[in-house]
Amino acid sequence: MRSTEQADTETSSTSTPAGALEAKVAVVTGAGRGIGRRVALYLAQQGARVVVNDPGVSPDGTGQDQAPADQVVAEIVAAGGEAVASHDSVASMEGGSRIVSVALDTWGRVDILFNNAGILRDRMFIKMNEADWDAVMAVHLKGAFACTKAAAAHMQRQRCGRIINASSSSGLVGNAAQSNYGAAKSAIAGFTRVLARDLGRYGITCNAIAPMAATRLTVGMADMAAKYGLVIPEPEYVAPLIAYLASDAAWNVNGQIFYVFGGSVCLAQPPVARRTIFKPGGWTVEELIEAVPTQLTQFTDNPGPPAEHLRPAFARPPAAEAMAAPHEGAE
Amino acid sequence: MADKLKDRVAAVTGAGRGIGRAVALALASEGAAVVVNDYGVAVDGSGPGGGPAQEVVDEVVAKGGRAIASFDSVATVEGGESIVKAALEGFGRLDILVNTAGILRDRDFLGMTEDEWDPVVAVHLKGHYCTCHPAAIQMRHQRYGRIINFSSPSGLLGAYGQANFAAAKAGVVGLTRVLARELGRNAITVNAIAPMAETRLTEGLSQAVSVGGKPSRLGTPEQVAAMVTYLATEEAWNVNGKVFYVSGGGISLAYEEDMGRAINKDGMWSVGELAAVLPRALLEGVANPAPPPPDLPIPGRAQS
Repeated sequence: MRSTEQADTETSSTSTPAGALEAKVAVVTGAGRGIGRRVALYLAQQGARVVVNDPGVSPDGTGQDQAPADQVVAEIVAAGGEAVASHDSVASMEGGSRIVSVALDTWGRVDILFNNAGILRDRMFIKMNEADWDAVMAVHLKGAFACTKAAAAHMQRQRCGRIINASSSSGLVGNAAQSNYGAAKSAIAGFTRVLARDLGRYGITCNAIAPMAATRLTVGMADMAAKYGLVIPEPEYVAPLIAYLASDAAWNVNGQIFYVFGGSVCLAQPPVARRTIFKPGGWTVEELIEAVPTQLTQFTDNPGPPAEHLRPAFARPPAAEAMAAPHEGAE
Repeated sequence: MADKLKDRVAAVTGAGRGIGRAVALALASEGAAVVVNDYGVAVDGSGPGGGPAQEVVDEVVAKGGRAIASFDSVATVEGGESIVKAALEGFGRLDILVNTAGILRDRDFLGMTEDEWDPVVAVHLKGHYCTCHPAAIQMRHQRYGRIINFSSPSGLLGAYGQANFAAAKAGVVGLTRVLARELGRNAITVNAIAPMAETRLTEGLSQAVSVGGKPSRLGTPEQVAAMVTYLATEEAWNVNGKVFYVSGGGISLAYEEDMGRAINKDGMWSVGELAAVLPRALLEGVANPAPPPPDLPIPGRAQS
């Protein structure tokens, strides 16, 4: 086993077994609370030295507080691990660069980057404004770019690295009132697929997760779930998957997106062609009117069907309209 | 002229050249009045100039159609609002929005700068927000609308050296999915196209694409325009939240990125358990798109 040396030295008497991440240096953004915190604690437990980054903002990105990051560092240190705090925002190139510099200045390398920091400004699209769009994009998408830019050059030099991005079902599948967040999170999936291709040859892998966990950002969802007797799993369940993707064992897992919630881990279906129609030379509009519903989109759901009375006349079943009236009368 | 889009009003961004131009001409040929928007920039987004939008307008008008030019950039809220306003002032409504405007600044990620990231994301992703937002407000008011967004195979499947473009284009798909859910009730459909066609943006690519060893031509913008026109018709009322690849005469429905293969455990996994189970259960037959070269020492590779 390659980790024998470390296990024989100082940490062998602590409660954690020789970890999968001994001697590695990790940067976890948004690590003051929620999933990021759980991942930082777990990576440290697995032997990694961790930069705990969090500017301590509220869920909508406002305010600032050093305490959350500092507390997680204290927790790691109290458990016998190594960690340092960083309070920069990920949302600028300078911020990303400073966050990664903490790892380099403290431990001389960066092996693992978990781009986890995120904020929410949910609003129906009609009511959304530019500030809500920009703020969410800046933290999730530009933030992932900024931190990854800062880390990737060092990982290339080291000829090893693990980048793990946080995507979401909100973008991969779609969720009302989250056009800003959903767009940013699906953009991160696209970003991940290219990073995997651009960086793979240097021994760097890049994957993404789409987690579902009970955190500050999913409080509203938890209330909704409770109505159906469902419980959103705790964020600690996400941590082992991150640690696995960060481990040497996952050297050949690259460019993938994993859903994770509770003890379930699912590979996201890649958006490859599902059904194809082909006509040499191309199609006319009349032909497509026939072919698309019968050969391409059949047996798929319309995720937002029009109200019955707004359907085109030819698509309004006369029977349905005739039947609606007596029904209402009976009640 | 055909009349599938008679009395409809369309706005097409990036319509001065390439796919956008073909879409504007196709919509007009079906009877739609078209706002032909183009900022008139080079492929990399530099040097705005008025030319191509007006040329396409002239072409539409010469064929007996209705069109007006718009020279705004989609990358600002003001630009998007101005494009929608052009439709309302010129033709009184807006039924169809087609977001083809786009630029490229390709670079390997390690060399990519903020100046290559920001403008590409601004035009493609923010640009979709900037036009969709005022358009959605108008379409909701009308209780009718067709939004056709432009993604890319690069964003959906990954491509070397396009972190900026692919991120933006994948983001467009997420936006499309959310908007389909939010706006559908009001008889607005929102779909996305991932095209492969010979345009300024794909020059050189067509040589690189090969089928069975032979260089293969990409499809034409006109072939993409036919699918866009279909999605803009009343007949496509129930096609919503979908992503279509269009390449020549081939049109494919993309899978949704929902949950595929799964592993489940009552309780927390350990790293060791995941290492033992995950590759076998989830990744059988799934290729690493860029594995490290065989001569690069990779910790962990020896064991497997």
